[in-house]
Amino acid sequence: MHEFMNTLRVEWLKLKYYRTFWILLAVTAVCIPAFNYVIYDITDNSFPKINGKSLLGNPFSFPNVWSTVPFNAGILLFIPAILIITLFTNEYSYRTHRQNIIDGWSRSRFIYIKVLEIFILTLFVTAIVVLTCLYFGFLTKTAVQPKAGWEQYRFILYFFVEMLDYSLIAVLFATLIRRAGLAMGIFFLYMIIEQFVVSLGRNKYKKEWVDYLPEEVSDRLIPQPFARKILAPGNNGLWEKHVPLYLSIAVLYIIIYILIISWRFRKSDL
Amino acid sequence: MSVILSLKNISKSYGRIKALNNVSFDVQAGSVFGILGPNGSGKSTLLGIVMDVLHASGGHYTWFGSPPSEKQRREIGTLLETPNFYHYLSGVRNLEITAAIKAKPVSDIARVLKLVRLYERKDSKFQTYSLGMKQRLAIAACLLGDPDVLVFDEPTNGLDPSGIAEIRQLIIELSAAGKTIILASHLLAEVEKVCTHIAILQRGVLIKSGDVLSSLSQEYWIELGTTDMDKLRGIINFLPGVKKVTLSGHLLQIYFDSSTPDAALVNRFCFDQGITLNYLQVRKKSLESAFIELTGNVSN
Repeated sequence: MHEFMNTLRVEWLKLKYYRTFWILLAVTAVCIPAFNYVIYDITDNSFPKINGKSLLGNPFSFPNVWSTVPFNAGILLFIPAILIITLFTNEYSYRTHRQNIIDGWSRSRFIYIKVLEIFILTLFVTAIVVLTCLYFGFLTKTAVQPKAGWEQYRFILYFFVEMLDYSLIAVLFATLIRRAGLAMGIFFLYMIIEQFVVSLGRNKYKKEWVDYLPEEVSDRLIPQPFARKILAPGNNGLWEKHVPLYLSIAVLYIIIYILIISWRFRKSDL
Repeated sequence: MSVILSLKNISKSYGRIKALNNVSFDVQAGSVFGILGPNGSGKSTLLGIVMDVLHASGGHYTWFGSPPSEKQRREIGTLLETPNFYHYLSGVRNLEITAAIKAKPVSDIARVLKLVRLYERKDSKFQTYSLGMKQRLAIAACLLGDPDVLVFDEPTNGLDPSGIAEIRQLIIELSAAGKTIILASHLLAEVEKVCTHIAILQRGVLIKSGDVLSSLSQEYWIELGTTDMDKLRGIINFLPGVKKVTLSGHLLQIYFDSSTPDAALVNRFCFDQGITLNYLQVRKKSLESAFIELTGNVSN
């Protein structure tokens, strides 16, 4: 236990005085509520109201807010991905990944503490999402639903899985490419290409397998929350049926990423 | 004497290129072991393998008689190739990370910073350091916790002449304190001054290893100068034990059959022949010449 805490302390020493880390973390923490506020403002003021209610429903009221905020936050996952790529590629460009091993860490220790760092960062961002949900829930002056339970709260877990999925794809690119600019470029290119393949596959060629691509499958855990009765009638039952499969495949991807990252670091010359 | 590091048939290939080919040797406790070779001979590759940042293609090695482990590396101060630190952190905060990984007390940081004359700049960011300061910080990191074994790969890189002399002196003091030092370098004149044992690598092949005296031919000669060089050349071949006489500039170089020439005997012989010497110097073949003789390479 002492050894584990010491390992964690080393990672903390690396981050504690790293300004870029705190800036990107603050940007993430500010952008999630700010971006949600922009969407809230649009849904509240930019759509016609029927009987005093917005055409898009009340996505920021309890219990809908538990899926709305995670959905919007999912759009911003590229920000922590930039942070993660920076943290990983720093080790390569400073060659400290070698030095940590030379000084007395095993390769496995180096990788497991980095993966743990990703889990902690994901937990932190998920906590920001929870606080944002509570803020908008109370802002819209709706009482917390007495029946609010797993049905609503599970979106927080799905967000956690979605962010882990995105973050570990970022780590994978950082570990394979080792250079910050190139890794970020390829990460964004991959995001765009996957979305292009998904759009083409789903709408033109009617191929279902595109739903199970690495980022798409985790995106599908949180369906878009606006005016679902109008925009996606009847889709809810289908989504409920598929969600255990989406979750399983997303978790499987996470395990595969960790195995590849770990294998790559343990087997390659540093 | 116990063996600190033992290599058995270590090989390393990069595709068809053999960077190391069946290299075996032992490093004894308390020795200053020089790994010599020109650039690209495999010195850093060899040290990279024993510090677990490179995987050997074949063979095995032991530290302290046991299979390698992360805990052993914590007891070895290592500077491999370049100083590797977090650019955005100060010298002292970088050493806090090293101390934490090595499980050494933070209280030792001030001592090692003073030892390498970096204490005054301890709070400056690493990225503001000169190349020499970066190198000295790396040496400070090696000395944390006062390890019994030190591995230095080109430790004088980037240092000015006084810095080089300081590091040489530090190595001599560490050796005198009983530390085992493994030193890879292509600066043979530097190695010559400190090493007790050597291993010479050429294109990944170990061509010689052992203690310095038995590994290299120890050839001596005497250089003589006088106002009447023609007379000196005429009589010097009658001096007992002379093997070869060559002219080098305004001096005569006299080589002898025995290993160590007797300067007093030479001086008396010349005096008896009516020649007053104005220059007499006993010379020893440098490690560099011996190295070139062994490898056929001019070191850089």
